Parts: sequence; structure tokens; C-alpha cells
Amino acid sequence: MPLRAMQRDGRLLGAFADAERRHYLGLVDGAIRDVQLSRDGQSMAAEFPMLAIDEREMVEQYGISLDGLPKDLVVEGRGLTTFVVGPVHAGIIEPGRFTFHSGGESIVHLEAQFGFSHRGVESFLEGRDAVASAWHVARICGGCSVARSWSYARVLESFHALAIDEASEFARMICAELERAYNHIFDLGVAAAGAGYGFGLTRALELKERFARINARAFGHRYLFDAVLPGGIRAESLNDRRALRSDLRALRDDVEKFAEQLFGHHELMSRFSRAGVLPYETAVAFGAVGPALRASGGTFDVRCDASYGRYAQISPIRATAHDGDVASRVRVKYDELRESMRLIDVAFDELGDRPIPLPQHVRAIAGDGSAMTEGPRGAEILSLRTDQQGRVQRLHVISASYRNWPLVTRAMEGNIVPDFPLVNKSFNLCYACGDR
Amino acid sequence: MPGKPFDVSLGIRHLVCGSCNGCEHEVNALGAPQYDSTQYGYDIVASPRHADVLTVTGPMTEAMRDPALATRDAMAEPRIVVAVGDCAIGTGAWCNAGSAGAGAGGELDAEVHVPGCPPTPDAIIRGLHEAARLLDLRAGRKR
Repeated sequence: MPLRAMQRDGRLLGAFADAERRHYLGLVDGAIRDVQLSRDGQSMAAEFPMLAIDEREMVEQYGISLDGLPKDLVVEGRGLTTFVVGPVHAGIIEPGRFTFHSGGESIVHLEAQFGFSHRGVESFLEGRDAVASAWHVARICGGCSVARSWSYARVLESFHALAIDEASEFARMICAELERAYNHIFDLGVAAAGAGYGFGLTRALELKERFARINARAFGHRYLFDAVLPGGIRAESLNDRRALRSDLRALRDDVEKFAEQLFGHHELMSRFSRAGVLPYETAVAFGAVGPALRASGGTFDVRCDASYGRYAQISPIRATAHDGDVASRVRVKYDELRESMRLIDVAFDELGDRPIPLPQHVRAIAGDGSAMTEGPRGAEILSLRTDQQGRVQRLHVISASYRNWPLVTRAMEGNIVPDFPLVNKSFNLCYACGDR
Repeated sequence: MPGKPFDVSLGIRHLVCGSCNGCEHEVNALGAPQYDSTQYGYDIVASPRHADVLTVTGPMTEAMRDPALATRDAMAEPRIVVAVGDCAIGTGAWCNAGSAGAGAGGELDAEVHVPGCPPTPDAIIRGLHEAARLLDLRAGRKR
């Protein structure tokens, strides 16, 4: 299937290379298709701009030569000022380097340079037992650990055609929605901080901490690492359901009170609206995923469009907005947060008092496959190929942040320099899962 | 002894050297009302020039090595480096991966080590108390 047909009938997801060939992933009829091309050859990025970073990575890390790969944009002209920020920043954030080209206060062009958190995680895992590597996979990125672990578990389970019991699936859903909830509440806080509203950040940190404590009681880790395991869910998860539900209800009420204050703050909302507009066409051309896409008029949500676990049974309601500005992204995240709280409630109802079995034993065997999970920032894609002994031959991560980062730079064009923290934080993307 | 309110103040600069972001969750939590590290006079500052303490996370990556050394060396003496989390200490998931070092703490001569994946905010505050004590010793202050 050529890429053009894949994009027409479905959705292009990204690309990577291994020692032999290039792989272009797309979603067609709810399943991930892998279109393979020769190692060297014609770049696809001229036709599909979203692939420019994927192909650049192939060139840099696999020594592949591609014809027609888009060249760096040279920005120069009278009255332009160029200045660089990073990789060391003033806040408690990950390292990235941003080159601003501005004319007066307005940003003409912004370049983002990454790789400062590049540890070489994919090559590090090559040759290791694929099941034992789940512990490492949970630690590729701390902001989307559950989504990635779930994708990884699903790939390994698909090698055995292993079915997961209903109770474990509902527990996984609760876990994934808790991950979305603690991320989104933090994102609301940092967006407020980006507009200088300190109270918003403090209040969000208070609520996030309560999520972290519930996470630890529910799944044994404040940020839910190692909760979703190949074959099931961590033993002793969700033991004290009555108390957890009561605390979650109180937390939900306080989140709603906080949202009333936030969205009722007219000065704050006037900063949020029309800042950092990401047009729908740009979002689609660059393959945006998650809240970044859905705030610009898109609808794609892995939970609805390539359903997994028990999501088809519960049918999450998509959160969407159309203005593509900071206000829309913040609104979509809040709507999703509320929906996560509802999904958690429904999943608890479905789970009832049923015991959750221990994870099934999964042995690493030969296989090749990909899986995609809706994380807090969008589709978290993981591809794995193992050898006859079940050792990792190639593991590749396409994270939602990796897909969305080029859009942050686009959303900044025409905005004033002091709004960069605000616009950036309305996306609040990770670096670790993109850099790897 | 540090621990009493406003007994001591620390300017803290935080530096990420290939962390997964888990440790950053917990350093950020120091600003949450449940921990509020400013009650001890501990404040995250924007520049290493303003800092007494450098908290570092991650195994150290090749790309961050030079910026990290430059950041530490921009700090005035006396200064203390605190290694936060298993990766920075040298026991974490990605230590010695292809483009990673054996721990940012070791490379930056950390004197305080806070283990955990990630360490809890309380553990990080314990580490900051220890950094404050070492700074007092170095400056010849008695409390």
C-alpha cells in the first residue's frame, strides 16, 4: 500500500528505520500497517511534511541516505534579531534549545533543537530479553509511562495471541485515566503560570499531589511506573476500592471548583484566547495527535478510533474545540480530565468487588508488531521485533510529543516573544520520549 | 540545624541531564502546598549565578555534558551538588546506555545522594537539609 493511499484511507503515524529497510506506519481500518521501503532512496517528507523529523532521525542514527529530504530553513533579513534559549532553562523542565528569529516583539520563525535527553534507549535494549525490558520501557519517559507500558504489553501479548481478563483490563483503564488526569491537572497549572497566574499553579500542584498519592495507593507508584505489566496488572492493585473511590470523588469536586476559578478569570482567559493559534490544516499536515489536534478541530482519539482494552464497551466522549489557541487546548484538557474521572467511575462500577488475577506469565518469543495507546499527549506508538530467543532486535518509540513538537514552533509564528512560555505550556510536551 | 523555619536559605538551580521526567515531577512537587519547600527557605532560582545548590537528575547524556559543567561552574563557591534519583546516582535504568554516562551526580562531583525512582519529595527535602548542613560547615557557621 503506497503512503498516499494510507493517508487517504487512514492516518499516517510516523516512520523509522532498522538495519535493512525503512518502515512507514499508518492506521488503516483500526489496524497499524507497516509499509516497508528500501533503506536508501527517495525521501517521503516532501509530500508528507510530518515525516521530516522521522527521516532526519533515520539519516542521523542509521546512516541512511535519502534524496529530497527538506533542508534547514535559512532565516535572514533586515531588522531580524536571532537569539537562543537553552538547553538549560530557568524552570524545572527538560533540556531543549530554542532559536528565535524575531522582528521586534513578534516571532517570525522558531527553531527547536532536541536530543539533549538522548540516552540511546532503543539500541540499549537490543539483545535483551523483551519481557524483562518492560521495566526499562516504563522508564523511557515519566510523563507517559502507563501509555507506553500498555502499548508494550499489548505488542508482547499479541505475539502469544494472549487474551487479558476483563478485571485486569478495567484496572488498566483506571490506571491509564489516572495518568491522563494527573498530567492534565498539571498542564492547567503550568498554562496558568505561563500567563503569570501563580495561584493557578499552586492550586494545580496541590491537586496533582493528591492524584500522586491516590496513584501510589491504587497501583503502588506515585507516577504509576510498572503498573501495567505484560500479561496483566501489578499484583495488589486497587485493593482498597471503597476508600479510593471516595477520595477520587472529593478530588473531582475540588478539581471542578478549581476549574471554575480558572475559567472564570477574565484576565487569564483574555491571555489564553487567540494566543498560539494552530490552524487545523497545519495540525493535520504535521500529523498532530492528542489534545493538540483535538483543540484545532481534529477528532482522532486512539481510544475511539483504534480501540483497545475495554474502551469500546465504555465509549469515551471525545473532547474537541476549534480555535486552536491556548484557550482551546486548556479547555480540551479540562474536558478530557472530567471525562477521565467519569471513565474511572464507570470502570470501578464494572469491576465491582471482583478480584484482579495475578498477571499471566508471558514468555519472550519471536515476533514483530506495533501497538498504539492514547496517552495524555496523544498516540503513544511502540514497535517491536524480537528474535527466536525473544530478545529485542529493534524497538522503536514514536511518542505523541515527538509528533507534536514541530507544531509548537508553528503555533508561535506571529506571536510575541513573552508568550512563548504560555504557548509552550499549553502543549506541555515531554522531551524524554522524543529524544529517547 | 536546618529544618526549623527560616533557619537557613538555599537558592537551588535544577538541571536535567537525561532524566525521564519522573524526578522532575517530584522536584516540582516541592512547590505544592503539601511540601512547600519555601517554609525552610529553599527556593528554586532561575540562574546558576543565584544558586547555592545544584540539583541534578539523569544519567548524564553526551549532549548535556558541556552545558552541565558550564552550569555548575557558573555557580559561586561554596556550592553543593545534590544528585536526585537513581539515574543521577548511577543505579538507574539508563546508566551506561549508548549515549548516556554513569550518573550525572558522579560527573558533577555530587556530595549528596538521594536515591529513588523517583525519590519522594520528602526524600529530596532531606537531601536539601543535608546540603544546607554541608554549606554551613564549609562556611564555618554554627547553628
